[in-house]
Amino acid sequence: MAAPFRPCDHCAKPAVVHNTVIVNGQMNEVHLCADHAGAAGIQMPGQAPIHQLLGQLAQVPVTRQRGPACPECGHTFHDFKTSGLLGCAACYEAFAATVGPVIERAHGGASEHIGNVPARADDANQRAALLQQLLRELETAVSAEQYERAAQLRDRIKDLRPTASARSDGAA
Amino acid sequence: MSDLTAMMVGDRDVVMSCRVRLARNVSGFPFVGRATHPQRREVLETVRAAAGPDEATVGLVGGGRVGASAAESLAWIDLAALPKRDRQLLWERHLISRQFAEGDSPRAVAVTPDERFSLMVNEEDHVRIQVLRTGNALREAFDAAVRVDATLGSRLDFAFHRKWGYLTACPTNVGCGIRIGVMVHLRALRVTNEIEKVKRAAKELHLAVRGFHGEGSEATGDWFQISNQRTLGVTEVGLLEEFAGRIVPAVVAYEREARRVLLERQRTLLEDRVFRGISLLRSARLLGLDEAMKQLSSVRLGVCLGLIPDVALDTLNRLTIQLQSAHLRSGEAGIETDDDERAARARVARAALGDPS
Repeated sequence: MAAPFRPCDHCAKPAVVHNTVIVNGQMNEVHLCADHAGAAGIQMPGQAPIHQLLGQLAQVPVTRQRGPACPECGHTFHDFKTSGLLGCAACYEAFAATVGPVIERAHGGASEHIGNVPARADDANQRAALLQQLLRELETAVSAEQYERAAQLRDRIKDLRPTASARSDGAA
Repeated sequence: MSDLTAMMVGDRDVVMSCRVRLARNVSGFPFVGRATHPQRREVLETVRAAAGPDEATVGLVGGGRVGASAAESLAWIDLAALPKRDRQLLWERHLISRQFAEGDSPRAVAVTPDERFSLMVNEEDHVRIQVLRTGNALREAFDAAVRVDATLGSRLDFAFHRKWGYLTACPTNVGCGIRIGVMVHLRALRVTNEIEKVKRAAKELHLAVRGFHGEGSEATGDWFQISNQRTLGVTEVGLLEEFAGRIVPAVVAYEREARRVLLERQRTLLEDRVFRGISLLRSARLLGLDEAMKQLSSVRLGVCLGLIPDVALDTLNRLTIQLQSAHLRSGEAGIETDDDERAARARVARAALGDPS
């Protein structure tokens, strides 16, 4: 039988966390939706930090933990977990969902490259895509009043723009 | 300019050397760990062809100098064909990593005659550009590394992702793929038990603190390598400015202050250690590596504080390399046992520092 619907104590969404709290001998029930549980600092399953997730993965039997392989080089997530290394450039896409958070954690939460771009970074499209990303980031930085970061981004954008236009001019 | 003032130039009293390293991979090949030997050989040949035969072609020399002479040519060393002792020699000179020194897969290093530049091919990544400089010359090292990167990058397609930047075998290197580091001698901070504070502060700033031989070597002596850990979400120039403009000056000032305090409050104890150190290095007949490094550290502090005016800092810097095992064994024939090596180490130290007997 399905559990009876119970709304969150703070909103109309269904409660997913049900706790009994005893304060000064008084027993109280607390019912929270996912959002309010998160706001109260209660960790939801699936939201555990990456190192905990990796720890859980390690306990999965070997046959299951090898998981899908990179279509380009055959590297598995298990290979990455044991060596700390990826097999090829395509691995970054193949394991984006799992490796992405690992990268962000390793770099203090950063999730975008803002440094140099190789001289032969394919074509103007790649530069244009990067430019778009940097512009979005600049907007966020400015609205968050992160002026030092905004200045860094502006420098990068300045560096990218002439090259991008020069390239498209050349192609035209 | 007095000797002591001269030492402050380039912060040489504290900063032994600095290094800028760039990690790059060639598009179209699996990373080294996943590549077959034939693929690794192909990467090697591709990079070697792109680097060209000399410093000018690799981008180390600017437009002002035309036609590099033979003396300026890059020496390509095939690691797989190199005897174990010679590999260790390169490692002791900080030209290659320990990981690179081991194993038998196709890989090579290109080195300039002055040993201030090395290009490792097929280390953890296909290409590792490394520029070394004595003292604190980070900006110069940075410029040279960026020049080589630009030259190679104009001839090779480097693996690059618009979100993650330069793609590297280990995701901790993505983004700029750059490591900026200094080797610092923090003897006084060790003596005054303040080194843990430095390590804690470094950790908060996302910096790695390692030992004399970098990754994998414990920072047990008085020499520390401090380098950036974050390479994503930062710009190369931003990192350089942070390092050269903020971090290194702060570490240097902190060590100098500890030295000043030591000299002021514990002069006798300090002098005792320094003069015991120089006496031992000038007199010992058998010298182990750990002991040699420990005494060199005391002597170095004494030289930097003007307590031993007849020893040059360069002599001590050289000895930190020359007294390593493979250097002794390649410098003299007939060194077979550990005692032979300890005797040779003592001889080299005495010859360099002046044996009073």
